[in-house]
Amino acid sequence: MNTPDNIEKLIQNTVIHSNPDVNQAVLKELLQQFDNTREQKQAVMQPNIRRTIMKNRITKLSITAAVIGVVVLGLLEFVGTQSTSGVVWADVAKKVQASRGVIFRSTEHIVPDTYDQKSDFSMQYCTSTQSRLDGYKEGEIIKTIWGDCNTKTVILVDHLPSHKSYVKMTLEKMMPDRLRTADPNRWVQKFLSCQYKKLGQKTIDGVLCEGIETTDPAFYGGGNPPETPVARLWVSVETGYPVQFEGERVYDGQRHTCVQDQFQWDVELDESMFEPNIPADYIDISP
Amino acid sequence: MLEDKLLVWKFKHGSKEAFCRIYEKYRDDLLRLAISLLNEADVAEDVVHDVFTSFIQNANRFQLTGSLKGYLATCVANRARNVNQAYQRQQNPGLDASVPASSSSRPEKWIIISDEFRWLSNALVKLPYDQRETILLRAQGGMKFRQIAKSQSVPIKTVQSRYRIGLDKLRSMLNGEVTK
Repeated sequence: MNTPDNIEKLIQNTVIHSNPDVNQAVLKELLQQFDNTREQKQAVMQPNIRRTIMKNRITKLSITAAVIGVVVLGLLEFVGTQSTSGVVWADVAKKVQASRGVIFRSTEHIVPDTYDQKSDFSMQYCTSTQSRLDGYKEGEIIKTIWGDCNTKTVILVDHLPSHKSYVKMTLEKMMPDRLRTADPNRWVQKFLSCQYKKLGQKTIDGVLCEGIETTDPAFYGGGNPPETPVARLWVSVETGYPVQFEGERVYDGQRHTCVQDQFQWDVELDESMFEPNIPADYIDISP
Repeated sequence: MLEDKLLVWKFKHGSKEAFCRIYEKYRDDLLRLAISLLNEADVAEDVVHDVFTSFIQNANRFQLTGSLKGYLATCVANRARNVNQAYQRQQNPGLDASVPASSSSRPEKWIIISDEFRWLSNALVKLPYDQRETILLRAQGGMKFRQIAKSQSVPIKTVQSRYRIGLDKLRSMLNGEVTK
């Protein structure tokens, strides 16, 4: 006697086979289509690498954690240092740039989102050349991402019990300055290069902060800026370091929100935490 | 899964190898879903072929926010739904009864169907299309009810109801077959 459970399993387990010769013929045709499409795109426009990075969550997480950059743009010229407020915004960029290492928490939400294995939040540890991201879900680490700017490699480890796997990725085509697009240092610089307004003061976790807000589409950059972008940066009046970053934007009908907080600036991070430590029973699924 | 995210990332950056891996990994699942939805091999083959072609053409705009398998399964379901609606507009009773010959130029059959699969498909095709699609996206596409609800633009309770009623009907049909 078939029960609903049995029926479901029957549907799940029924298999079909495909003709290997036809598989190859179809694949060949699709690869030809692939080549044609790539050629057409290259003829029409250069790829918007930044947008590609920012729209891909894995890459974005990797890149977010990848580097605390060293580039200071000439934009500081546009920012007055004679501010009458407690925060001298040009000094914020300098302090962030000079930070030896930074630890922060990042929480992202995408609505609507159908991805069920997303981290609740991640803790990120960055120096000028190395990074580590630990993704947490319900208190457990479910993924770790190590990034090394010197070797241009990223290692992604999936700790979910049903996966236990890792992949190694070499960003051979990525220029170092493009690796810096999403780090806190870059955000500070971007803020100061965009049109922004001052938000005044508020206390975050007991720290008196001053904030600025931008709705300038240029903040997220690229040739296809998001709809209704908003970003806020809150900086400690006392230390001059960022305390909280809030970003919100809409891409392709999805609302992305991101909060970075719990910053610890200018910390000495132990080298050992950037050495990939992959358990022996994890499977290498690098293609 | 991380592997899929990496494959998509490489695919979007022009890796043929990544596309080949995606194709090899999900081809048979998509063919199975398409033929289960449409119960006609030639049309199902064209639907899957079109999904992969569209995937290539839209690579630069594609953003993976859920599972890759779920995304591709939704693409197959959407195309299959369009095909089914087109035939309904032509006042055909159902694809199983009167699908016109495919325009596919493939000289050989892509899908090799077992007797067991054919037996199950013949029962599935007797279900209303919405119920069939819901059951197949859940059981073969591995999608959750809320993902199916989103893809069908209906409330989740509707999807759960379609699933339960469809499964009950299928059970009755298959038990009837067994007891004959």
